[in-house]
Amino acid sequence: MSKPMQEVEMRDALRQAIDEEMERSKGVYLMGEEVAEYNGAYKVSKGLLEKWGPERVVDTPIAENGFAGLCIGAAMTGLRPIVEFMSFNFSFVAADQLISNACKIYYMSGGRFSVPIVFRGPNGAAAQVSCQHSHCVEAIYGNLPGFIVLFPSNPHDAKGLLKAAIRSNNPVIFLENELDYGMKMQIPTEEYLTPIGEAKMVREGKDITLVSYGRMLSHCMQAIDALAKRGIQVELIDLRTIKPLDLPTIAQSVRKTHFCVVVEEGHIFTGISAEVGFQIQEHCFDDLDAPIYRVCQRETPLPYARNMEIESQPNKDRIVSAVLRTLHLRS
Amino acid sequence: MVRKTVYGVEYDFFDAQTDKWIKRLDKNNLIDTLKRMLTIRNFEIRAESAYQQGKVGGFFHAYMGQEAIQTAAVDAIGIRDNWWITTYRCHALAYLLGAHPNEMMAELYGKITGNALGRGGSMHLYADRLLGGFGIVGGHVPIATGAAFSLKYQKQNGVALCFLGDGAVAQGAVHESLNLASLWDLPCIYVIENNRWGMGTAVDRAICVQPIAQNLSKSYDIASYTFDGMDYFSCYNGFHHVHEEVKKIGRPVLVEAVTERFRGHSISDPGLYRSKQELAEAKSRDPIFLFGEKLKAYQIITQEHIDELGKQQKKLIMASIKFAEDSPHPDPITLEEGVFAP
Repeated sequence: MSKPMQEVEMRDALRQAIDEEMERSKGVYLMGEEVAEYNGAYKVSKGLLEKWGPERVVDTPIAENGFAGLCIGAAMTGLRPIVEFMSFNFSFVAADQLISNACKIYYMSGGRFSVPIVFRGPNGAAAQVSCQHSHCVEAIYGNLPGFIVLFPSNPHDAKGLLKAAIRSNNPVIFLENELDYGMKMQIPTEEYLTPIGEAKMVREGKDITLVSYGRMLSHCMQAIDALAKRGIQVELIDLRTIKPLDLPTIAQSVRKTHFCVVVEEGHIFTGISAEVGFQIQEHCFDDLDAPIYRVCQRETPLPYARNMEIESQPNKDRIVSAVLRTLHLRS
Repeated sequence: MVRKTVYGVEYDFFDAQTDKWIKRLDKNNLIDTLKRMLTIRNFEIRAESAYQQGKVGGFFHAYMGQEAIQTAAVDAIGIRDNWWITTYRCHALAYLLGAHPNEMMAELYGKITGNALGRGGSMHLYADRLLGGFGIVGGHVPIATGAAFSLKYQKQNGVALCFLGDGAVAQGAVHESLNLASLWDLPCIYVIENNRWGMGTAVDRAICVQPIAQNLSKSYDIASYTFDGMDYFSCYNGFHHVHEEVKKIGRPVLVEAVTERFRGHSISDPGLYRSKQELAEAKSRDPIFLFGEKLKAYQIITQEHIDELGKQQKKLIMASIKFAEDSPHPDPITLEEGVFAP
């Protein structure tokens, strides 16, 4: 008998995860700008104030450094905060709290104080929000030992991973994307968790491995369909967890296909794809039949103009072209 | 209130009520207070010389001159139920909240028996109710505010105590914290230990208002008190009062303890920006000496007894040096362990 399913949008999946975990543990609360009375800038927290009250769904002043730090202190003293950044670009205002406190305290204190906290919110580009609202933060936070970094690409994984993140005893950077909040999907009605640290092979293929995560998955799927028409079978790996990286799943695929392209929304220099590509090189050097190619954001702050914004980011055509070039084929 | 001018700034000091407290407090407790202040002083003097011998590395910020403040706070407020947070100048508070000199010295030596397994060093010491030892100026103030939030959320008794320096008052994190704590009625006591120097920059070159707490508190609609940080009883009476007030009103309070830093900002700072005479005058108001003199005046203790206590504490600290020297280094094989909590 098949499991009962429900159709949800990404924002509903995230809300269900928060709601279920608030039900499960009294120490879980949500704090951020406009999360309560406004029902969330992107409606992820819609209805939660009404259900849980202002003690557990807490609106803040515009003071990211203050409330992020406050929640770290609360996490050290028995609570399990979920901090919503309206945009992850605002987390830079709280950088001292995230970088010098959240990810270091457990180690620095010799294991005396853990920091079970989730920082979540939209990451990367949206629709023409320009230079200061579009940066991808995963490479920055991924560089800091102590953080777990997650970026689900669909509502199913978003719900399961957010629940796992809230239950983790470590600080988690949980990345979403504004353009994906309306993405619809059938997910189980019953409770489930998605384990942290496990990538997923979402499409099987024998010719080349494509590694990506987050919003780039939809661009990858379009590219795969276009490549299939040319008889190229692409194997697609969705990282889901950026850190800790699930290298075995990637390596297994690369050892089979012998070719690899990594797709990342963020910038190419010191990006996640640089790390993934280098680890593949370290562990699968003899299995590779060509250098690994990267498709990333170009090296500029993200411009406002629509055509320039599109040109700057990875897209179907750039991915197709990278795959062909890696396979030594002409487009 | 006692109006007093210190370095040209007019403060309203909270009454000390020395007479009342000497009569009310147990004689043995008062002697124990002196003993603990002597331990702190001895610890830092011995640790300093270990540093000069190259046995202790990194940064080392001495609390010498300020001991009366945190000692009085812990005595007046108590450890249980409360959360304590301080800066990188954290030797005294860690000891007062229960860390043994052995584990503290071993931490300075970078040994596996150290307070934080040799990972934190001088700036990052801990105890069951001490959240740290924080190294970024002002960065711990939101953490303290969160501990107060946590107490309120969990409907627990207790308050959060946050110590910061005068230099931290220039940081945005402090102002965001005061706003949040006042806005949300959080039981947090913020204590600005004003030793007049942010490293080598005098307070009047860094902070636009003096006295700090009396002025700042108005902007955040919270109460403020100023203590003579060199006088244990001014601090004790003050913290006792503030604690009762915070428990009653469930609101934050801002305290300024006017004090002196007997050493440079850190051990590598020769303090060339202040005159020898100024420092000598400051040292004539040594809080441990003054406390001892008061106890003698009230015939609680004799000079011989004080000398004996000094010798005992020196012994305790010498034993901690031996403990640290004899302890093993952390095993490099464990280097990447403990980054994540299970």
